[in-house]
This record gives sequence, C-alpha cells and structure tokens, in this order.
Amino acid sequence: MIRPNLKSTLGCYAIVLPGIVLLLTFIYLPVVWAFSKSLQEFEVGGPARFVGLANYREYLTLDPTCWPSVLNMLLLTMFAVFVRLTAPLIVAKLIHSLPRERWRHFYRVVFLAPIVVPGVAVQLIWQGMIYADDGMLNSLLKGLGLSGWARGWLSDPHTALAAVMMVGFPFVGGFEVLIYYAGLSAIPDSVNEAARLEGCTGVSKFFRIDIPLILSQLKLIVLLTVIGGMQGFEGLFILTRGGPGFKTTVPGLWMYFNAFMFQRMGYACAIGVLLFLAIFALTLLNLRYFKSAEDVKGES
Amino acid sequence: MANDYDIEETAPKGLLRRAWKYGSLCAILGVSAWLLWPPGAPTGAAGQAAAARAAGPGAKYVIKFSPGTQYMPGSVPFGIGKPLEGLAKVVGRFERRFPDTHIEIINVPRVREYLVTQLSSGAAPDIINVNVEDVWVDVQKGWYIPLDGFLEAPNPFVAEKHDPNLPGARQWWDLFRYQAISRGKAAPDGRNYCITMDMIETGIFYNKTIFTKLGLKAPETWPEFLAVMRRLKHEPDLTPLLMYLDEYNDWATDLMFDQLYYNLLPGIDLVKDPAREPYLQGYLDGDELVFLLHKGFFGPRDKRYRDLWRIMKQLKQYTNDDMTNTDLTRQFVTRHGAMIWTSSPMTYRLWSDHKLGFEWGVFYPPRFTKETSPYASDTDMCVIGGAAAQFEVTCSAVGDTDASLPLEERMARSERLRRVMAFLQFLCTPEQTEQVVNEYPCLIPNIVGVPVLAPLAPFEKILERRYTTTKWLFSFDLRFSHIQESMLGLYLAGGVSLDEFLKWQKANLDAAAENLIRRKTPDFAAMQAQWKHLAPVRARMADMPEEAREDKP
Repeated sequence: MIRPNLKSTLGCYAIVLPGIVLLLTFIYLPVVWAFSKSLQEFEVGGPARFVGLANYREYLTLDPTCWPSVLNMLLLTMFAVFVRLTAPLIVAKLIHSLPRERWRHFYRVVFLAPIVVPGVAVQLIWQGMIYADDGMLNSLLKGLGLSGWARGWLSDPHTALAAVMMVGFPFVGGFEVLIYYAGLSAIPDSVNEAARLEGCTGVSKFFRIDIPLILSQLKLIVLLTVIGGMQGFEGLFILTRGGPGFKTTVPGLWMYFNAFMFQRMGYACAIGVLLFLAIFALTLLNLRYFKSAEDVKGES
Repeated sequence: MANDYDIEETAPKGLLRRAWKYGSLCAILGVSAWLLWPPGAPTGAAGQAAAARAAGPGAKYVIKFSPGTQYMPGSVPFGIGKPLEGLAKVVGRFERRFPDTHIEIINVPRVREYLVTQLSSGAAPDIINVNVEDVWVDVQKGWYIPLDGFLEAPNPFVAEKHDPNLPGARQWWDLFRYQAISRGKAAPDGRNYCITMDMIETGIFYNKTIFTKLGLKAPETWPEFLAVMRRLKHEPDLTPLLMYLDEYNDWATDLMFDQLYYNLLPGIDLVKDPAREPYLQGYLDGDELVFLLHKGFFGPRDKRYRDLWRIMKQLKQYTNDDMTNTDLTRQFVTRHGAMIWTSSPMTYRLWSDHKLGFEWGVFYPPRFTKETSPYASDTDMCVIGGAAAQFEVTCSAVGDTDASLPLEERMARSERLRRVMAFLQFLCTPEQTEQVVNEYPCLIPNIVGVPVLAPLAPFEKILERRYTTTKWLFSFDLRFSHIQESMLGLYLAGGVSLDEFLKWQKANLDAAAENLIRRKTPDFAAMQAQWKHLAPVRARMADMPEEAREDKP
C-alpha cells in the first residue's frame, strides 16, 4: 500500500484547519464552557461560585417545572414524530403516483413553496388569526351555533398543549414531502415492475415495498424531529411563553428563561447539559435500533 | 491503482497546481482569521473617541441616547398624524449650547436579553429608557450610575436664571411634579437610578354609547362595578371588560392588595426612610415584605391575601377568555368590548380616530366596600401607574475614565458623564419637556410648569391620588414575577384551585425572599425592633395572621 507523504497531505490538513477551528470555537467550546458553568452559580456580569452538582440536583429534585416540562416535551416530540412520519409520506406517495411529470412537478412546488414562510410568521398567524378570542376558530364555532365550545385556546389549561401541537396543521411540511419523494423516486423501476407482475399494488405495495425501501428517509426524519422536538422552544415562546401555568413549558424554554430573564446562567447551563445528554442518548438509540433500507437489504 | 499523491507532474504544471493550492489556502486562512477577529467597533474610551471623530470636527463627546419609541423622532404614534420631531428640536438646541457634544439618538430593543448583553460588554448606550425595575436587579454589578447626587444639586439650567424661588434652583428634585412616584423609583439599595419627565397612568376606558343605551353609568364602588359587568355580560357578542394577563398580575394585584392592607399600614410599615417617607406614605419595600412574609403574611393562612385572589377570580368571569393573544384594542374599537383597562396612551388612539363611531370616557377602578370583602379598607383606589419614559445612565457614560477605579471616583473624574447629565438636566426643564411630552396627548408631564393637554385631564385627576402601598412585581426578582404571572394565568383560567395557587405562590415568595436576602442583606434587627414597638397598634387590628399575633422573632 502506498502511503501519502506528510508534505503532500499537509496542505489538505491546512485547508480543513479553519473549518475545524470554527467548529471547535463555536460548537465544542461552548459545550465545554456550558458544562463547566453548570457547576457554578453564575450570573452575567456577576461573580461565579463553584457549587458542584447543586444546579443538577435542584433541577431534578426541587424544581416543580422539571418533570411536567419533560412530559410536555415528550408529548410534543412524539406527536411531531407521528405526524411527520404520516402526513408528508402520504402526500409524497400521492404525488409520486401521479401519472404525468408535469403534475408531479406542480404539486412538488405547491407543497414546497410554504417552506419560505418564516416559522415565526406561522406562529403569529396561528396565535392572532386562529386561536385569538375573535379568531377564525372561535368565529367558526360561533357561526355554527357552538358558542359554548369557543374559548381562549392558548390560555385554557385544558387545550393549550393540544393547541400548540395543532399549529402547522395539516402537517404537510415541504421538507419532509421532498425527502420522502426523493426516497420513493429512488426505488428502482425493476422493483416496481416486479411488484406489479406479482400483483402487489396500491396499499399493499406501499406497506410491503415502498416503506421498507425508504427506511433511511424515515430514520432521518425521526432523528431530526426528535432532536428538534427536544431542543426547540421558539414556537412555545411566541405562542404561550410556557403557560398557562407551566402547561406548555418544556426544559429548553425554562433553560432560556433562566439564562436570559432570571440571569441564572449556571442553572440554565445545567438544564442544557441534561438536554444534551438526553438528545445524545436518544440519537444513539435511534442509530442503533432504527433500521435503514441498507440494513434491511443486508439482512435479506 | 495509482494514488493521486504520487502522480509525477511536469514542472510548469506542478508549479501552477502548487501555486493554486497554496494561494487558495492562504485566502481561506486569511478570510477565516478576518472572520474570527474581535468586533470592529471598539468599546470604551477608544470607541468613544472613534465615534467623536465620525460625528464631526467639533464633537468631542458623542452621547448615545435611546429614548424609546414614544418620542423617537420620525416615528408616527399609532400610525396617526405627523412624524414626531420634538425631541430632535431639543437635541438641536442642546448641541448649539454645547458644540463639543453630539447627541446620537438611537433605537434599541427594550428587551432585557439585549440589555444584559450590551451592558456586560460595555456597549450599551449612555442613556437608555427601560423600566427601572429591570435596573434594580443589576445595580450591584456597577452597570448603572446612581443619580442622587445630581438630583440633590441644583439644575444648572434653572440656576442660571438666578431666581432661587424657581423649582429646581435649589435641587433638581424640586422640578418633578409627582414626587411620590418619582422618588418611589428608588432601587432596593436606596439609591435612585432613574430620571422621569412624564407619567403614565391606567384607567378603564368605556364605551359611553353602549353604557347610555343600556342605562348604565360609570361605577363608584366595586359592587357597582360588578353589577355593571353583570348587565353587560347579557349582551350578545360583547365582553364587559377587556384586560390582559399582565394587567391582572401587575395593576390589579397592587390595587387589590392596597385595598385590603391599607388599614394595616400603621402596624406593619416598619421602615421609615426620611427621604422618601414624606412622599410615599407607608410604602412597603421588598425587604419589609420579606419580613412580613416571615411573620405569616402573604401565605395561605393570611385571610386578606386569600381574599385578594378570590376577588381577582371574581373579576375574571367578566373579562376576555384569551388573556395573552387577542388584540384587545381592536376588540374595543370594533365594539366587541364595553370597557378596556389600559393606560393613558390609548387616549391618543381614541381621540384621534374620527371614524370611531362612539363616545368614550375614562374612570378609575372603584374602591372595595365591606360587601366586596370584610377586610376592605374602604378607601379610594390608589395610583399604580407611574413613570413612563424612565431614563437611566449606564456605565458607558464614564467610559472616558479608567475602568479599574471605583465607580464613585470614575463619576467624579468623568467629563463625559457631565455632558450626559447636562443633557438630562436640559431635557427636564419646563421649556424642553413641553416640546417633547406635549407633542401629542399620550403621557402626562412630570415637570413643574408644563401644562397637561386637555384629552389627558382624567389621568391628571387620577394622579392626584396617593401612591400604592407596594409594587409586587417590582419588589422581587424577575423569576418571581414570571412564576406569579404563569400561575396566576393558570388559576384564573381554572387550571388550579385557590389552595394550589397559594401553595405555589408561597414557594415562589420564599424563593424570592431568599434571593433578596442574599443580594441585599436587609437589616431585620431594626425591623424587629420596630415590629415590637408597633405591637400595641397591631393589637387593635383584627384578622391578622396567627404568627403575626404571636410575635415570634
């Protein structure tokens, strides 16, 4: 085997170096910094004091928001995984099944176009136009003579979490549709032809042929949704600020409030580290146990 | 298989390839280094010198001033009328008097997250406009300049008129019309960090046309108020009273607290600050609240405290379902709400809307009676509004001095701070304030000698009342405020019972008290002595918490 000499590879390493420096500076260093600060009582602009694991202990055992917010996070994440594995997949399959490329192209554009609308704008539309007292939902209910059902959807403790979950209905995100469509398009014609000759068509083909062959795409979406669901809090910040009470609070949002409103930076770092560990563990589990199309092919 | 690294190259081609490789490498490294270089805008003295050079040859000092949106030159309040120009004119006049100083008006977000990052990096504007309560949390960090020394000295722009009888000639404080509110803005460390030239007050704006049609009139007592709302609730598609969760948490809490505890003040007001007492008349500071908390007040067994939240829930049944997301101003102007509890700037919105189509008026929340609560003090509701524009001077103003020196010494040495304070002193003279505050009817001037515009007359009347007993949200930290608001929202929406809410509130108060003690270390021994001294007064009072009667140290 011929080994590249150091002189010729040095340039390549040098080219990669800025990227590594940036990665270390902006990704890994803050993680290390956050971990060290999580062991301190620390306020921006104030002195820091080493407190060991006290911040972790306080969050996990004393903070009344901890376990309810973890439950909220799990419910929101599980719901997001469910809808992102179903609605966009069905739409992608329907588009893929269209006989003419012109229409397939048209629908791809139609479903992808809303992706350019900023998430914040979507949240504000739902907040002000749909869920408000005089919003579309309450007006519709009143119009149908169901005034008793009208309510402050985001203020009512019984509906707030569900109302947050429903933002984005009908959940046909352009990104997911595109990923699934690409997966379906990558299924070889020979496989489709063989399935047709064997009489495996329609719903049967969808479950027996298509889904096993796009497992890689499903795995990717699950991974991204789980990470996004556990990290994300922007929507909740805009819609409810975690209320009413702590009915829609998630650990990420509580971390943000502690860091930037209450100035308990060390405590916020502890929550962040716990979140990081949870996401890391779930990602490993996902990679280990969720089979991809290649794994399925390997087994067969 | 051939390896790319071992390909023999001809000399010119190899040279060219190497030149390309190392050239692009240098470019990438250069760009990366440039990206990672510290920010270009220098802070501190170097930054100020650079700003002065940019401002022009005459400007030795460039003062950055963030006045907030209400007076921002060029802005159009509520999208109605001409762009504002009053503040720009005042700045122009000041710069003509001080040719070596340039006032740069900038607009910065009023969000706390932004402020904290700017202050910690030393890049905040010299003068900012934020609620001074946000400042209190950080005063121990030396981010703000205490202004007492300036306020207790003559205002030079009044003193130059050589009339010792003019307000402000003896001390700047005397120029402020609403003394109780202005002095009530002192921080928990007892020092004042805020200059305010105007006042904002709350009131209940009501649709007179609807009231007249239904034979209703502005109520004078709380039971009358509830009766009016009960009648309005029968009207289809009409919410009797519109108010946000913020208003419950802030205004309603303070007003109701005052109504229920005012009569107890002679027995529980423990700290008499000689400078503030003549104006605040029994105001309970955060440390007094903490002491009282330890005496059994404000807990589940304090009957008054329980009643406060019961009455709040009673009020909720007549207000909008959604307490955070609905545009309540729109609800009111489109006649889906009969009343809205909001602040004086709404006056301009309604007064200038010629297509409104109904008459409106303003009344103040009416007093509780014994029918409302057996603990009602039977006194008129107090004032809970206060300073509108709240100008604080940040440590950027002493940026021309050595940062390693103590703040007091930096203040004494800083020429730049003198310019900053001169501008604020100039702005607070009657002639200049009138130009700014009375440019449109929105806020009430706080400077003696500046008239109040006619549409704001109801608020001028309201401001004659005595000041509130305390300001709950501003006594403690922001964590306390957040948790109280969150849990209050849940309680009002029926998510938890009164007992559960009080349990949360007790834990919240205990945590806030612990934090206050850690930050401020209050003198509880002096309070305990006063507490004992007032025992005979309390003995005549009924329905005190059990612990307060037992008089445990």
